[in-house]
Amino acid sequence: MTVETVEAVVDVQAGASVRRRRQALLTEMAIAAGITLLLLFIIPAILTASGQGVRVNQLGRFLALAIAALGIDLIWGFTGLLSLGHGIFFALGGYALAMYLQLQLPSGQIPEFFNLYGVSELPRFWQPFYSFPFTLIAVVVIPMLVAGGLGYLVFRNRIRGVYFSILTQAALIVFFNFFNGQQKLINGTNGLKTDTATLFGLQVGSSPVIQGTFYVLSVLLLLAAYAFCRWLTSGRMGRMLVAIRDDETRVRFSGYNPTGYKVFVFAISGALAGIAGALYTVQSGIITPKAMDVAFSIEMVIWVAVGGRATLIGAILGALIVNFAKTGLSEKFPEYWLFFQGALFLVVVTVLPAGILGWLRTEGVNWLRSLMGRREQLITYPSLEEDPDVQYERKNLGDRESDS
Amino acid sequence: MSGKILEIENLTVSFDGFKAINNLTFNMDEGELRVVIGPNGAGKTTFMDVITGKTKPTEGRVFFKGKSLLPYSEHEIACLGIGRKFQTPRVYLKLTPRENLELSCARYKTVLNSLFGRTSTAERRTVTGLLETIGLSLKADIPAELLSHGEKQRLEIGMLVAQSPDLLLVDEPVAGLTDEETEKVGDLLLALAESHSIMVIEHDMEFVRQIARKVTVLHQGSVLCEGSIEEVQNDPRVIEVYLGQQPSISDHQMKVLRIIASMAWADGELSRAELDLMLSQLSRLFSSDAEQQEKLRDELSVYVLQDVPVDQALDEIASPEERELVAKLSYDVIRASSQKSGSESINEWEARDYQDLIDHLDLPSDALTRLQTTVEA
Repeated sequence: MTVETVEAVVDVQAGASVRRRRQALLTEMAIAAGITLLLLFIIPAILTASGQGVRVNQLGRFLALAIAALGIDLIWGFTGLLSLGHGIFFALGGYALAMYLQLQLPSGQIPEFFNLYGVSELPRFWQPFYSFPFTLIAVVVIPMLVAGGLGYLVFRNRIRGVYFSILTQAALIVFFNFFNGQQKLINGTNGLKTDTATLFGLQVGSSPVIQGTFYVLSVLLLLAAYAFCRWLTSGRMGRMLVAIRDDETRVRFSGYNPTGYKVFVFAISGALAGIAGALYTVQSGIITPKAMDVAFSIEMVIWVAVGGRATLIGAILGALIVNFAKTGLSEKFPEYWLFFQGALFLVVVTVLPAGILGWLRTEGVNWLRSLMGRREQLITYPSLEEDPDVQYERKNLGDRESDS
Repeated sequence: MSGKILEIENLTVSFDGFKAINNLTFNMDEGELRVVIGPNGAGKTTFMDVITGKTKPTEGRVFFKGKSLLPYSEHEIACLGIGRKFQTPRVYLKLTPRENLELSCARYKTVLNSLFGRTSTAERRTVTGLLETIGLSLKADIPAELLSHGEKQRLEIGMLVAQSPDLLLVDEPVAGLTDEETEKVGDLLLALAESHSIMVIEHDMEFVRQIARKVTVLHQGSVLCEGSIEEVQNDPRVIEVYLGQQPSISDHQMKVLRIIASMAWADGELSRAELDLMLSQLSRLFSSDAEQQEKLRDELSVYVLQDVPVDQALDEIASPEERELVAKLSYDVIRASSQKSGSESINEWEARDYQDLIDHLDLPSDALTRLQTTVEA
């Protein structure tokens, strides 16, 4: 074999792989669009028709949680930083929108709970939340800035691994206690109710139009978040994140400063949690400091672990599966949900360390094939696949019927 | 231009009072290939840590192309043009070799560039060329975790080169490699030395011999001596620190050893078979105790790796018995090398040297035939 033919083969392969990648991307977009349409038009209709209208609201909330799961997947699955403090960003997003809704009052009035604590004047920091555009920006930017600031302090000092996890959890507890204690500012432990607020003359909690709108918003924003994360992780940025996870020291010695990348991805991840928090709050009717419960932030991590780390679809699936299992089980056996959750986590970690999707992509394929009575796929060493000599033999000799 | 690429002045690094580097001064010319050796704990890796900014020195100054490196952090130093290879291969296991190289190759390394920048055609071409150089073209698109240890080592060296640094720091590149892989890595480094300045830390003396032009020996955090490999290996201080003691064999024994070794080296290379044979025969000759023999083997292996002229040594071997012994051992050794190559005839250079030796030893002819028959039997 001459050198030129080898190069030609490589070129042809490169061209083919570009075409294949484009094809795969188109297929993926078609599937995503299909699922979105299904979620928007068919599933709510079916659920309502079969008298399960409540489930639509549940689905909407869980789709919102899936957005937070995407954020966890970015920071943990791809970059390898286990954050146990995403409840902070979730709550910040939720509070931002809830404050706006609380302020939908005839002019001159302030939200009711202030009277309980003898506050007669709206605190200064509530003022901007009269503005709808400001609220929209705040839902994204406040969690993003908090995550970015926290991340900068932590990552600049090269705090990694379990210390990072502990620090995020500590921050979570600090925020929890702060929100819990501030009755005069944000109604403390009682939180802010959104279901009794009115928006455009409709009551948020009971108006089907508003709830329907937020359901649609959840679906669309989940799609947008997925597309964004997909874009983020497929290019050079995605490879950088994986590189940081694999070997941060090597990244440093290759001339990259990992701090910037980690702050960036942590901030993005916080913003996603903030959006999720806002959507979730409206659909569940209330935001309280319980959103910053230690257990809830750990639950977010469990969704991703169950679905499959570093597989964005896995994060979404994990959030939906775990949450539906949670409602299903806690309706039937209210006391046992926590045990189920613990067991689920243990099973995933021990039996399916790559999560459901990770398993499907590897052993799952062969398992399905063997169920259908087909031979398992054989994975050969790639150099053999690409060896020009072997390819020549395959083409010219391999397809012949054997002589016997 | 051949200025100094690296200048280190009075460098001291202490960890809680323990001086890992002690008042070290070191210079390297542009385009040089330098090997740094030294026993465990000599401070070799700390030395690299200081140059690459991982450890900040307690005292002293480090200049790279006349510029002080002390205010910079690791990634800035990497961008200035110093690439470092670690002791164990550190590559991104979940990425493919191509992606590994592309990440190192990228010119602009900020977050924004990673977000919106695209790999340029020139970079892609560099990567393809590099994959060929390190022999991983066919495995360019499988995850790096599937590569063998040697391939990972080569990939990491490739990643260094992709950064297009001026100075490569390579920490034990052949640890844990087979002989064949070692040779490949050696060739790769020699090829790179054409266009880069390279500093290699290594333990494997055979490998050092393959690539070394100038060797620096570190001991207890300071430079012990510097020079060509022959100079360094003959330096009694080096022998002492490497073995922790004076040579345990006498001068006289050393001479016998040198003569035998010179036979083995006659064809310009030392095969494994020759080495084994020499070590086992000589250690048995110098000691009767099995444990002692084992220790001697290690020690002797350092001495026999050097090819030094022996003319003078020959004259000092006076007694006929010893002369006979030397002749016998030499004969053994050259036979070993011929058996290795599979041919019946002893190779030309060794045969000639052996003939010279026999002439020099001036043995009676009956002794000579007697000895040849014993060996062949």
